[in-house]
Amino acid sequence: MPARQMLLAALLVGLALVIPQFASDYYVSFLLQLLMMVALAQSWNLISGMTGYVSFGHAAFFGIGAYAGTLLLQGGSPWWLTVLEAGAIAGLVSVPLGLLTLRLRGPYFAIAMLGLNEVGRAIATLWVDVTRGGNGITISPAILPSLSSNYYTMLLLAAAVTALTAWVYHRRFGLELRAIREDEGAAEMVGVNTTRNKLTAFVLSALVPGAVGTVYAFYTSYVNPSSVFSPALNIQMIVMVILGGSGTVWGPVLGATLVMILRELLWANFPALHLAAVGGLLLLCMLFLPGGLLSLGQSRRRLRAELAKGGGSG
Amino acid sequence: MELLDPVILLQFLIGGLLAGALYALLACGLNLVFGVMRVINVAHAEFMLIGAFIAYVLYKWLGLHPVVALLVTVPAVFLLGVVVQRLLIERVVGRPLLTSLLATYALSIILVNLGLLIFASDYRAVPVMQGSLAFGDIVIPKPRAAAALVSIVITVSVYLFLGRTRLGKAIRAVSEHAQVAQICGIDVVRIRMLTFGLAAAMAAAAGVMLTMIYSFSPESGADFTQKCFAIIIIGGMGNFLGALYGGILLGVVESFVGGFVSTQWAEATAYLLLVLVLLIRPTGLTGIADAR
Repeated sequence: MPARQMLLAALLVGLALVIPQFASDYYVSFLLQLLMMVALAQSWNLISGMTGYVSFGHAAFFGIGAYAGTLLLQGGSPWWLTVLEAGAIAGLVSVPLGLLTLRLRGPYFAIAMLGLNEVGRAIATLWVDVTRGGNGITISPAILPSLSSNYYTMLLLAAAVTALTAWVYHRRFGLELRAIREDEGAAEMVGVNTTRNKLTAFVLSALVPGAVGTVYAFYTSYVNPSSVFSPALNIQMIVMVILGGSGTVWGPVLGATLVMILRELLWANFPALHLAAVGGLLLLCMLFLPGGLLSLGQSRRRLRAELAKGGGSG
Repeated sequence: MELLDPVILLQFLIGGLLAGALYALLACGLNLVFGVMRVINVAHAEFMLIGAFIAYVLYKWLGLHPVVALLVTVPAVFLLGVVVQRLLIERVVGRPLLTSLLATYALSIILVNLGLLIFASDYRAVPVMQGSLAFGDIVIPKPRAAAALVSIVITVSVYLFLGRTRLGKAIRAVSEHAQVAQICGIDVVRIRMLTFGLAAAMAAAAGVMLTMIYSFSPESGADFTQKCFAIIIIGGMGNFLGALYGGILLGVVESFVGGFVSTQWAEATAYLLLVLVLLIRPTGLTGIADAR
C-alpha cells in the first residue's frame, strides 16, 4: 500500500480509537454501525468486487453469525471467544456452499445466491426449538459485553478486513482474483487455479460477516429472523461497494460512509425511502459510473498525467 | 386421509397444473426478455405486483372484478414496460450480464420500496369468486380455475403471436441473432421495447389473477422471483416453451410436496429445484443458454 494511504489508514484508526473518550453514546453507536457497514462492505468486496461473482445473499452469513454468537454466549462461552467461534461457524457453512455454487459461472452463481438470505430467514423462523422462531432471542444484560467493548471489537474487525483487502489486493492472490473477474477462461489458461482462489475468497468473505453479526447481536442484545437475516442489510452491502468502487481497497469504506450518512438522514422516519434512494444510487452507478466514485478521481488523475505528458512532448 | 388414494393424487395433480399455468404465464415474459436482449430481469416479479396492486386499487375504489381489471391493467403495464425499456434497460443491453443484473436488481429495490411507501407492508387480497367447482370427488376453487384459464389463454395467444405474425417473427429473429435481424431491416430497438412491454404486461396479467388466490404485499416479489428463476433454469433460459414446461413442472412438484410433506417445504421447492438443476445441468433441462 502506498505511504499516503497508510497514513490515511493510521489517521482513521487513531481517530476511531480516541473518539469514544469524549463522544456521547449516541455518536459511539453511530460509529459502531458505520464500522459494521465498513466490515460488511469490505467482506462482500472480497468475493464479489474482486472476482465479479456477485453474491446476492451475503447477509445470510451475518445472520448465521448473529444466531451462532447468541446461542454460544448463552451457553457460557466468553464473549471475545464467541466472536471468533461465530466467525468460524459462518466460514464453515460457506465451504460446502461455495463448493456447490462456485462451479457455476457468474450470472448463474448470482441467481443461485439470490434466495440465500431468504432461506436463512426461513430456517431461523421454522427451527423453533433452537431459534425460538419469530419471537427471537433476548440476551440477558448480565452476560453482555459493554458498548465500548462492542465498539472496539467492531473497529478491530473493520480494520482487519480492510487490511486484509489491501494485503490481498497487492499480492499475487488478488491479481489472480481480478484476472478471474476480467476473463475466467483466460485466467484458467495461464494457470490460475480459479476454483481454489474463488473458494478462498468466498470463505474469507463469509468469516467476517459471521463475527460482525455476533457483535451486532451483542450490541442490540436481541436477535430475530428478520432483524439479522435482513433484506435491507443484504441490499446495503452490495450498494456500498458498487457506489464507492468495487474491487478497490477504499471504495467500500467510502460507500459505507455515504450510505450510513444517507441512512442517518432518512432511516428514522422513512426506512423505505432510504432503501428506495439506495436503489436509485445503485441504478445510477450501473448506468453511468460502473467503477464507482473512486473511479472519478482515478480517471481525473490519469487525464492530468496524460495532459502533463502531452504538454512535455508538444 | 389415505394419501395414495387416486382421487387425492388426481386432486394434487390438478391443483399443481392450475398453479403451474399461472407460473408459466409469469415466467414466459422473463424468458422472452432474456432471449431477445440477454438481460436477466430481477425486477420481473415487481411488474407482477404492479399488476396486482392496480387490480387491488380498482377493486377497492370502483369494485371492479379482477378479470375486468385485466382490460385496464395489462395495457397500462405494457406502456410502463415500454417506458422502462426506453429509459433504463436499453442502456444496459449489450453490457456484461452482471451489469444488467445489478441494474434490474436496483430497479426491483426501488419498486419494492416505493410500494412500501404507498401501500405499507400489509398483506392484501381481492376476495371475489368464492366457492368451488365440483367434478365428482375433485374440487377446484373457482378463482384458481379462472386464473389458470386466463393464463392459458394469454400464454397461447402470445405463443401464436410469436409464431404466426410478422411482428412476432421479428421478435424471434432478434432473439435468434440481433445483428443479422438488424441487417435484415428489423428495428431492433423498437422490437426490444415491444418485448419488454409484452413481458411486463404478461407479468401484470399474472399479478391481477394472483390477487384472487393469494394475499400479497409489496415485498411478496422475492418468492416469485425465486420461482421464476427456478422455472427458466429448468426450462432453459431464453426458451419460451421451456418456461411453459418449467412453470407447469414447478406447479405440480410444489403441489405434491405440499400435499405429502408440508406447505412450508412446498415454499422451499423452487429454491431446491433451482440449485439442483444448476448443479446437474447449468444450461437447463431443455434449452441451450448463452452462459456468458
